[in-house]
Amino acid sequence: MPRVRVGPADEIQPGQPAFVTHGEIEIAVFRVDDGFRAYRNRCPHQQGPVCTGPVSGTLVATAETDWRLAWVLEGRVLICPWHSMEFDLDSGRRLRAQSERLRAFPVDVNNGEVFVQIGPRDSSAPRRPSV
Amino acid sequence: MTRDSRKPLGLDDVFIVDCDVHANEPPEALAPYIDMPWRRSLELLGRGPQRYLDIPGYAPILNLDPPFPDRGLGNRTVTTARQMRDDLDELSIDVGILFPDNLLKIAVFPHVDYAAALGRAYNAWLADAWVSRETGLYGAVLAVPQDPKDAADQIRTYGADDRFVAVYLPVAGLRPLWGDRMYDPIYEAAEEMGLPVMLHSVGIIHPHFPFNLEHVESRIVRHPINHEFALMANLFTMLTSGVPVRYPDLEIVFTEGGVSWVPFCMWRMDKEYAEIPTGAPFLERPPSDYIKEMYFCTQPIEEPERSRDLLTMIDLFDGRDKVIFASDWPHHDFDHPRTVLNMPFDAELKRNIMGESARRLFKLPVPVPVA
Repeated sequence: MPRVRVGPADEIQPGQPAFVTHGEIEIAVFRVDDGFRAYRNRCPHQQGPVCTGPVSGTLVATAETDWRLAWVLEGRVLICPWHSMEFDLDSGRRLRAQSERLRAFPVDVNNGEVFVQIGPRDSSAPRRPSV
Repeated sequence: MTRDSRKPLGLDDVFIVDCDVHANEPPEALAPYIDMPWRRSLELLGRGPQRYLDIPGYAPILNLDPPFPDRGLGNRTVTTARQMRDDLDELSIDVGILFPDNLLKIAVFPHVDYAAALGRAYNAWLADAWVSRETGLYGAVLAVPQDPKDAADQIRTYGADDRFVAVYLPVAGLRPLWGDRMYDPIYEAAEEMGLPVMLHSVGIIHPHFPFNLEHVESRIVRHPINHEFALMANLFTMLTSGVPVRYPDLEIVFTEGGVSWVPFCMWRMDKEYAEIPTGAPFLERPPSDYIKEMYFCTQPIEEPERSRDLLTMIDLFDGRDKVIFASDWPHHDFDHPRTVLNMPFDAELKRNIMGESARRLFKLPVPVPVA
């Protein structure tokens, strides 16, 4: 399984992913809380460059918020620049459509350097069925 | 070398006609093409704030929504023919039919002379700076509904130019709807010149039905009402005033509504017609017969959980040669051609939807086969 160097960990800031290319696959590495997440830069909707979108929050109204509007997950929601689909940066899952998710890759940090392991697609990860 | 027929069709294997792309026309761009005093008006507007498709006196929208955090990235514009050609190349699109950006709202202007002058300026600007057979960028003549006689003159003028292949009928804020007999000169001219008419709406808030949505909180409610509901209302009135009967050679195209509303319109109007035939005295056959002869652009293509349901939907209105691809580039809800091409259709249907049906409809040159 190829292990690709991304760069120094302290240069990857929240909301500003580092990009690395392996063959035809472009991968973005995001800083999330104290760790890192790596996702393929391709939206499962119409294959837009999802990782080039802004990192923001989202609006919800649930029983937990007493059905009042609440801005949540600030800094954890990746928004595709093509059609504004929202993904949880922590899990890679599309918000409110949990069966769809970004293709994720394992990340490790060694001596302050970030690496991504490029493996085969996780066959258990469902993709958007129509396209 | 021939393509392996066992492999799925790729974007480069099909001729793609995009029936809806948008040329951005800032006021100052049209100023040289418009008469006084409107030239001075556009020069003034050009020096003012230029919000995205939201310019009072030029592209009025009555935007009541605050900007939403980090959701404004879809505000793309294409300002030159060169940029449009490059963008369409990136999307593997061979031919684009041009519609305006700001002037999607032209039907709202109460000043008839201003509206007509804007329409003339847009058509002249398009002819001068955008349309070309070599680049595959073709125009739709803007027909200003406020002045049908002037619009008919424009259709006859530009309809003789083979770089214009359709007539654009604005829908947003229109009153009366396109079935009104006042628009007969437009239909007469379009039929005479052999140009399909293409209805196209846009999201606005306006006192005219069905755009009187100032009380509706959510944009995802207003958006389909602005598009699909508006198209339905216009389709109904065009049927009941007999547009397809009185202009039998006129082709009618609906853009930016997807396709799933079409069977509803057929069956609902057939039922009304059966019970109240005096409501549509021009029709010689059930309304669904005429609807099946119309064309429907794909965007925004429905993406049902079972994608094969889309084929069922198309077959419900015998639409295999009447559904034509559109991307709506560069707008926020554009569809990549791959999205439509990857639907579970057979190769012949894919070729028809992606370009062949539109090529026949618009009488476009036959493309040179790719070696």
